[in-house]
Amino acid sequence: MKFTPELTFDGGLVRPLTADDVDNLFEIYQHPEIPGQRVIENREHLQRMIDLSVQMAATQRGMMWLLEVNGESQGLVSIYDWQPSLLRATLRVDGLPTLKDAYRAAAMNACMKFMADKYHLRNFAYQWIDGQQDSLKVVVESVGFKPAAVLRDAWRTAETSFANVVQYHCVLDRAKPVPRKLGDDDELGQNVSANGVAGRGSVGGDA
Amino acid sequence: MSWNFETANFSVRLPVMDEDGPQLFELLKNQNAAAHIPRLAQTVDAQALDELRRMTMRFDSREAAFWLVEGRFDKKIFARMGIQHINWMMLNAQLVWELDDELTDEGVLEFVPQLLEYVFAALKLHRIEMRLKPQQERHERLLTWLGFAKEGCLPAQLEFEGESVDLEVWSLLNPTPLQDLE
Repeated sequence: MKFTPELTFDGGLVRPLTADDVDNLFEIYQHPEIPGQRVIENREHLQRMIDLSVQMAATQRGMMWLLEVNGESQGLVSIYDWQPSLLRATLRVDGLPTLKDAYRAAAMNACMKFMADKYHLRNFAYQWIDGQQDSLKVVVESVGFKPAAVLRDAWRTAETSFANVVQYHCVLDRAKPVPRKLGDDDELGQNVSANGVAGRGSVGGDA
Repeated sequence: MSWNFETANFSVRLPVMDEDGPQLFELLKNQNAAAHIPRLAQTVDAQALDELRRMTMRFDSREAAFWLVEGRFDKKIFARMGIQHINWMMLNAQLVWELDDELTDEGVLEFVPQLLEYVFAALKLHRIEMRLKPQQERHERLLTWLGFAKEGCLPAQLEFEGESVDLEVWSLLNPTPLQDLE
């Protein structure tokens, strides 16, 4: 079963994680973007993370893609806090310092479009944490996010320190899916390799 | 101070599975009590028993705590208070309450500050937030009196009776810095 597709965008692609991506992830997590986030030292944690990325996608709890630009690993796109029945999820990109904002935005757009087309998600959240680069705000606003609330001290940065979180939302102007009975159509569930839906990029392999 | 405490007019205590079903149902069958969340009122008493079981399980797993607010003299349940979605890493949680129509604002202000004090001092949480539908005049007034600040409004958080519902976020921070808590 394959749950996470490969999606292309101008200049790059996002693809599912494979067992060979430990080194790519290790490099990404040597440059944490979030205040208080520690540099990862144990590669075994990353192997576990790759395994979890498949489990999370299969159970509709999250989805992770490696972000490649010109064939080079430059980041990780994550969907988390996925609420299938509420049609919403939170989005995050962890990028290497070399990842350009345009590619970050394009990857976000591609992943959001997939989640909206495939799972009917219509409300995406993004959390910018005080201390992150201001340019990230411009990126998420260019994708269509709008600031909705400033959550005071909602992110713990160290033992006794906290940072504010600016919560952005992007609510898509799409009709909600109409409930149907099982068997009303030929939808084969979430297995993208079985569905073979055109226009969503080629299908990659999960780890 | 323990989980259970008393004020001049109220006993604030953890629920008792075998005893509180009928009284809890009386509170939760009133749509007004949960309109700000929003959530449907209960319609059969078995739902209250199920809710009691759920509260116990969530308490045991340290993800939530709920209290019933009982009149000290008439033993009527006037409110259910809870903190839920406790994030022990970030030290924050969500406050939720269902208030009986007969409970006055003064009554609420008699026990909620003590409960928040307990949450901040004993559980060492740093941030308590409440999420509620916009334009809930009474709840907003109470939150303001309790020192909560409105932080914004999150769009399309849930669907209720066919309508997409936005939720306002209000929060209160622990007045004592974390390093000063015993």
